[in-house]
Amino acid sequence: MSQQSRPLPAGNRDGDGQLLITRHAPVDRVFHWITALAVLVLLASAFVPILGLKFSWVPLHWITGVVLTAAVLFHLLRAFPRLRCMWIRVKDFRDLAGGRRAAKYTLAQKLMHAAMGLAVLVVTATGVVMLAKVDTPLWQRNPYLLESDTWGWVYVLHGAAALVILTLTMAHIYFSLLPEKRAYLRAMIGGQMTREEAAVFHDPQRWSGQRKDDPRENHT
Amino acid sequence: MEIFRITRNAWGQETLEGMSWDLLPVAFGLGLAIIIGHLVWRAVRRKGSGERGRSPS
Repeated sequence: MSQQSRPLPAGNRDGDGQLLITRHAPVDRVFHWITALAVLVLLASAFVPILGLKFSWVPLHWITGVVLTAAVLFHLLRAFPRLRCMWIRVKDFRDLAGGRRAAKYTLAQKLMHAAMGLAVLVVTATGVVMLAKVDTPLWQRNPYLLESDTWGWVYVLHGAAALVILTLTMAHIYFSLLPEKRAYLRAMIGGQMTREEAAVFHDPQRWSGQRKDDPRENHT
Repeated sequence: MEIFRITRNAWGQETLEGMSWDLLPVAFGLGLAIIIGHLVWRAVRRKGSGERGRSPS
């Protein structure tokens, strides 16, 4: 029997009796929501004082930045072996042009992940360097770590990445709230979506929401 | 509109301070433009598919 024709195993069902498939493991959902909260706090603590509401934003900003950096490092270590499911290929563009459904992630989801991922990597990398300018209980500030011009470029990269993250976060929240994309939001909260919901954008032969060791799963 | 924040130090030398915060409304506006652009595209596409659905084939 071919891999494609094997019957799908029985699984959990929702209240209407529809088969539920797993989209996100609990650990990935916890990572997503910690990251989301950290990014929102960082955006607010960075930009609200610029808009005129003054408060002591530095401690909140750097502590939340450390949380985001830890979450990003955890995600890099955990997700790196599965990077190919997020890799953007020419095939993704051909699939979109040909009206073919995606595997686990659509081209739009991969592009959003790549753009947000790159911006977050830049903002965390520069943020870690900028910690040298903050007095904390763990270390004393050392503003002479870098030359003045180099500090300027670190701040430019940090600010530019933060502005990109602001735009992308607005778009990400908007798309997650669209009625036709609501299943993705539910899956990011509860982990699951129905097979019918998944089949709208995803080819069940390329991604069926089963275990990663299922031979039908290639995630690409 | 400035792209960078540049100040002068005590010796009159120009120092790069970071991105200009004039760009904050630009980033916010770009986010709004994506949302409004997609809402318009979505409405046009739905209207088009609705009209095709009503027309005899």
